[in-house]
Amino acid sequence: MANILSGKTAVVTGGEGGIGAAICQRFAAEGAQVVSADLRKNGDDKTGVEFREYDVTSETHAQELFQNLQAQWGALDILVNAAGIEIEQTIEETSLEDWNRIFAINVTGTFLTAKYAMPLMRKSDGASIINFGSYDGFIADPSLAAYCATKGAVHALTKAMACDHGPEGIRVNAVCPGFVDTPMLQSFFGSSGDIESLKQAVRDVHPTRTYGKPVDIANLVNWLASDEARYASGQLWVMDGGLTAQVQQMRL
Amino acid sequence: MINSQMTLRGKTALVTGGRQGIGRAIVDRYVEEGARVMTCGRGPKPDNLPDEVLWATTDVSKPDEVAALCRRCQEDLGPLAVLVNNAGVQIEKSILDTTDEDWDLLMGVNARGTFLMCREMIPHMIARGSIVNIGSISGNTADPGLAIYNASKGFVHSLTRSIAVDHGPHIRCNAISPGWILTDMAEAAFAAAKDPIIAQKDALSRHPAGRMGKPEDIAKLALWLASDESDFATGQCYVIDGGLTAASPLNPGLF
Repeated sequence: MANILSGKTAVVTGGEGGIGAAICQRFAAEGAQVVSADLRKNGDDKTGVEFREYDVTSETHAQELFQNLQAQWGALDILVNAAGIEIEQTIEETSLEDWNRIFAINVTGTFLTAKYAMPLMRKSDGASIINFGSYDGFIADPSLAAYCATKGAVHALTKAMACDHGPEGIRVNAVCPGFVDTPMLQSFFGSSGDIESLKQAVRDVHPTRTYGKPVDIANLVNWLASDEARYASGQLWVMDGGLTAQVQQMRL
Repeated sequence: MINSQMTLRGKTALVTGGRQGIGRAIVDRYVEEGARVMTCGRGPKPDNLPDEVLWATTDVSKPDEVAALCRRCQEDLGPLAVLVNNAGVQIEKSILDTTDEDWDLLMGVNARGTFLMCREMIPHMIARGSIVNIGSISGNTADPGLAIYNASKGFVHSLTRSIAVDHGPHIRCNAISPGWILTDMAEAAFAAAKDPIIAQKDALSRHPAGRMGKPEDIAKLALWLASDESDFATGQCYVIDGGLTAASPLNPGLF
């Protein structure tokens, strides 16, 4: 399926992060022209990926990015809203400032970027928006309250956008990863004691006995971005190694 | 709140599988709330069943026995207001170990039994009658080694929606999906654990409610669904599990 995205244009927010970078590289390998939009560049130049400094909470940045791409590309086929943060706190520990910050990035960032991308996406022959939900938008991990709430918001926004813009030829889906080996997951582990035994215990809870890699998520995003998925819209695509297919297992 | 008056006064109710556990808790609660109740099971009437509760020995997987139960219900109770399909069996096997006999037994009771009871009783239910099916959280997500049990509960959830859609507004139909309820079966599982104390502690820490469920907890919801308080509720599968399935299976506090 090489070059499945040949001739397509793509913007990936959070394109320098763990999952975002894997998506940029896959898109480029599949023949797309890719812009990685993120706060700062991470590592060396990636072949076929153009970095743009971009803050998803800034309306000005969103306006400018898509004005520039209008001149450069004329149309946008793929938008991936992968920028996101997590805050490891209960609601009681969460300051209003932190609450507003995580919503500004995870929810408002998705809204603003999609809002200003819309005119360019209408000019595509087969536009696809992929938002980042999470299995935490369905069930809760402890001490991730605001994060869980933002992902629930993204899920609902995904369906709303799919309804509103489906008639214009724009598909909208969300991917909902489970545990994926990223800096965010390392940070989540970092708050615990014995990291290696914790990692093994986490693997053991998965029916597949492993947690995911960024490339696993990129595989799904690539398919959703492609014309192979042209009938897929408005759905929340959980990919978690089977984690949430099971009832919690007590240790008997 | 509900105890201050007899919520089901003057109502008739048929509860399958009322010998023990959740079914018995529902029977007891309905009686307490003023309903006239008939229940059934495969064996003879249990000695400790209150005298006012009617018993009909029935295997709900058998069409002729269900038809006979339906006739007895009409004769002895009259038009039916509430039907609770609680009878169920559980077989602890993956599909590779599951025999054809296992399939016939389990799907016969859990799936065909629910279907037969609804098919026979719906024509004899009063307007705005309420059917309450017992599903399970295992019908939404899988418990290991319970393959066809999980699947049978998925059937119950889906049939619940179909009945609500096909037979509304005459009939309301909802399902209750219990989590871990402390029945004899659960007690036995803990007793057999490598370390029963650790197993109990582990189970509790997975429940935001801080305890496991009791049959009475399910009876409380079955009461509400049978009552006119739930007049607008139909076609839903209500989970009641002390918060178990609201939490991720990966609870870092447990490692």
